[in-house]
Amino acid sequence: MTSPVPASPLETPRLRSLFLLCFKIGVLSFGGGLSGWLYKEFVLSKRWIDEEDFSSSLAISQMLPGANVVNLVICMGEQLRGPVGALACVLGFLVGPFFAVVGLCQLFDALAGYPLLPVISDGVAFAAMGLLIIMCVHGVRRAMRFPPSIITIAVTAILVGIFRFPLIPVACVIAPISVALAWRRI
Amino acid sequence: MRFDTLVAIALVFIPFSLTSIGGGAAIVAGIQHETVTVHAWVNSREFLDLFAVSRAAPGPGMMLATVIGWKVAGWLGAFVATLALFVPSSMLCYSVFKLTNHHRDKKWHRAMREGLAPVGIGLIIAGVLSLFRLADGGVTAFVIAGLSGVILYFAPRFPVLGVLALGGLAAMLASTLSTWVSAL
Repeated sequence: MTSPVPASPLETPRLRSLFLLCFKIGVLSFGGGLSGWLYKEFVLSKRWIDEEDFSSSLAISQMLPGANVVNLVICMGEQLRGPVGALACVLGFLVGPFFAVVGLCQLFDALAGYPLLPVISDGVAFAAMGLLIIMCVHGVRRAMRFPPSIITIAVTAILVGIFRFPLIPVACVIAPISVALAWRRI
Repeated sequence: MRFDTLVAIALVFIPFSLTSIGGGAAIVAGIQHETVTVHAWVNSREFLDLFAVSRAAPGPGMMLATVIGWKVAGWLGAFVATLALFVPSSMLCYSVFKLTNHHRDKKWHRAMREGLAPVGIGLIIAGVLSLFRLADGGVTAFVIAGLSGVILYFAPRFPVLGVLALGGLAAMLASTLSTWVSAL
């Protein structure tokens, strides 16, 4: 595949531009799938980051704990402007959603007397569970390539989801085993 | 008292920050257990409402912590919960990125990437299971969650807000219908 980005030297953005771009993506980011949007802005439109740097940043963002998009903007900021850049990106990205989510919560409380509200809220939550199910389906399909991954998924899901074992100790035990299995396979 | 609450909020969310492999969806089960069962900051009803609100608002799903913090201790609580959930994972990501980006082709780096992914998926499934248990919504829950999944699976570009709105609408219709049926 050829890269759509020409070999011209990449620009170094100003901190304010980084903050504002991340702010825009943050307030308009409904429901995830934002990696594609960041790719379009940072790689294709602004040409601040090249293709290969983007995909390795994406891999790191996805494997580490934390919201994937937040991790991704941190990697972008660090590459472009160092620690201050990372800070500008992450603050820009989170400040909008912070006020939006509390605002929505206040609106919800203001409507609390309306009898159908809990029913509607349940419906929204059920639909949101559908989103999570999609993530599971895609993840299980990726894991099919290596059957022990399926066992890892099942054991984690059963221990935490059915037997209600505390999540943190389970993750701390299973994660190293799973990484060791991947190491032996590669 | 109020200060103690803020400390408690921070202590609950900091460990989740570092175990949210694959993002906020992975820690829903854990957050529910800590905030509903252990600390009783919110009841099941409120937790489900806050989950719905955090999904309908812009931003990462991890903003669920923000609204729980807000519910428990106002703006300061929201601020502390947000910092507790985002700062540790962000610092970890920053350091790992800075230290290992040059080694991204090495075998241990690939093993880490591929080994952690299934743990994240397993945790998300656990989150879905605990939400179903919490919602106790019977057939309606399965139908709406299933339909929303089917729509987004076959039409990934369908706007998420549209799916959430349809879910709310469907639940409203189902409830109205069942009222009519029982009145007959």
